[in-house]
Amino acid sequence: MKGVLVIGGALLRAVGLVAAIAIVVFLLLRTVPGDVVDVMAAQGDLNAAQQAALRAELGLDGGLLHQFGHWAAALSSGQLGQSLRFGRPVAEMVATALPVTLGFAAMAFALGLVLAMALAIGAVLLPRSMLPGLVEAINLWSIAMPTFVAGMGAILVFSLWLGWLPVIGNLPVPVVILGLDIAGQLAKPLLEELREAMAAPHVRTARAKGLHPVRIALAHVLPAALPVLLALSSVTLAGLIGGTMTMEALFGLPGLGSLVLNAVHGRDLPVVQAVVLVLAVGVVAINAGADALRRLADPRLTS
Amino acid sequence: MDGAASAAAAGAPVPAKPVRRRLPPRLAAALLLVGLALLPGLVGLLPGMPDPMEQDLLALNMPPDAAHPLGTDHLGRDVLARLAAGTWLTLPTGIGGTLLAAGLGAGIGMLALTLGGVVAGAAYAAFDLLRVLPGTLLALLTAVVLGNGVWPVTLALGLAYAPLFAEVVRTAHAREMASDYVAAARVFGLGRLAVLWRHVLPNLLGPLITLSAIVLPRCIVTESVLSFLGLGVSPERPSWGRMIADASGFVEDAPHAVLAPMLALSALTLGLSLLGEMARRRADPLRREGRP
Repeated sequence: MKGVLVIGGALLRAVGLVAAIAIVVFLLLRTVPGDVVDVMAAQGDLNAAQQAALRAELGLDGGLLHQFGHWAAALSSGQLGQSLRFGRPVAEMVATALPVTLGFAAMAFALGLVLAMALAIGAVLLPRSMLPGLVEAINLWSIAMPTFVAGMGAILVFSLWLGWLPVIGNLPVPVVILGLDIAGQLAKPLLEELREAMAAPHVRTARAKGLHPVRIALAHVLPAALPVLLALSSVTLAGLIGGTMTMEALFGLPGLGSLVLNAVHGRDLPVVQAVVLVLAVGVVAINAGADALRRLADPRLTS
Repeated sequence: MDGAASAAAAGAPVPAKPVRRRLPPRLAAALLLVGLALLPGLVGLLPGMPDPMEQDLLALNMPPDAAHPLGTDHLGRDVLARLAAGTWLTLPTGIGGTLLAAGLGAGIGMLALTLGGVVAGAAYAAFDLLRVLPGTLLALLTAVVLGNGVWPVTLALGLAYAPLFAEVVRTAHAREMASDYVAAARVFGLGRLAVLWRHVLPNLLGPLITLSAIVLPRCIVTESVLSFLGLGVSPERPSWGRMIADASGFVEDAPHAVLAPMLALSALTLGLSLLGEMARRRADPLRREGRP
């Protein structure tokens, strides 16, 4: 029952945020001078009557509220409008690009998460080794080294000087770069949390019982750090969108990032609007999911 | 610690007179990195520098030589001059974005908390909304709505990082308002605004300055990412991110044209991040004690 309440609350908040973002995006893009019909009229020749007819058909002839209603109604039936430049349905373009982005982001995040957990657990178990230093270093790397600079460096080193692989369209290199970036963001706070958890009384008891340190770390310390890890992950995942966009642009991956950047440069507003909305919904969904999980994992948060 | 170690290594007894305080190595390294990164910008202020926009189509992708200390790019433009011009675009935009974020986040946060009630709720709901929209998406929207330019980018940076400042203000505000001395001041009849001005604000300043030090390198990184993606200040004006994007098509012929802005950018952000991290540790002694 409590679980249902928790998930319901998170869901409600998420729906509210998505609606707010949809409204903000809609209003912002309405402030751009010129609409779809103006652009089409500039490209082909539409007379005034045809323009008016087209506006009526697209729901652009009414006031803001009317337009928003039209747009929201189309949106709820899965229609994202037509691309101005390609004349294709935007939904179709998004559907083609989405799997690329999702797959890429999922791989990078999985790599980052595994790496961060391995490093942090290792550093807590072996405080005298070089692992804590490594956690510091990778954290600094992720703050100071923009992923596109690292990507550019990788292109220079691998494809030009070593002549190893064709870089455009290559997947492992951007995944590793973004994964390292994510690991750097996660490892240090996780390590701090683990250190704190190591000082808890139940850990001392476990040690006194003679449990193996690895077992203590995995069974007694890591669960205590789980809520923090979830919170961090949701923040990182939201930030992942920027990283994914740059990696897609740099390595020529045909994902949402490439789609929206091309749309911005071609002023293809329906595509911009749709992709921003899709990405924002994704971020909200991730946040809501992580929040609900965190509340379920940490009973202190619900009380 | 460093001084003691070197004295012991030299076999000398510990000198009786006070040891001259040396720069901590981390601080020295950070300052050196920032200095190196800003060096081209300073050199660019010297008279007699070539125009960063001037093209020399007979000297495309030239490696570094006497006339062009860092070589030329794919349009025969002087890389050093462009790097210098980029410094004076990237740095002010980053600083401007940080200041705007601090002003928006702390200013609106403080105002909303002072007014309390519905206003505070609404303001922090807006900050939540901003936090959900990733910085790149915000910049995308400002680039589409306002076009390319210094102000849209600064605005995007300010909006993207304002929630962090607002959060710090909320935490500090809650902590100070709950403290005994604020309660005492209220008992003595000090008004709400006076309490804020005299007691809460001075205690906020430290955390805000620390956060600014942490946000500045991130703003610079974000600005260069935006320029790299073509969402930055202007496709024509040289910024570091734009230089990397432009030269990336010619890495085989002119790796120096890519490397120069890459090195400058990494040195600047690394140096500033180190400084920011040191500021955070100084401001947060509890955390420092907890460290090995």
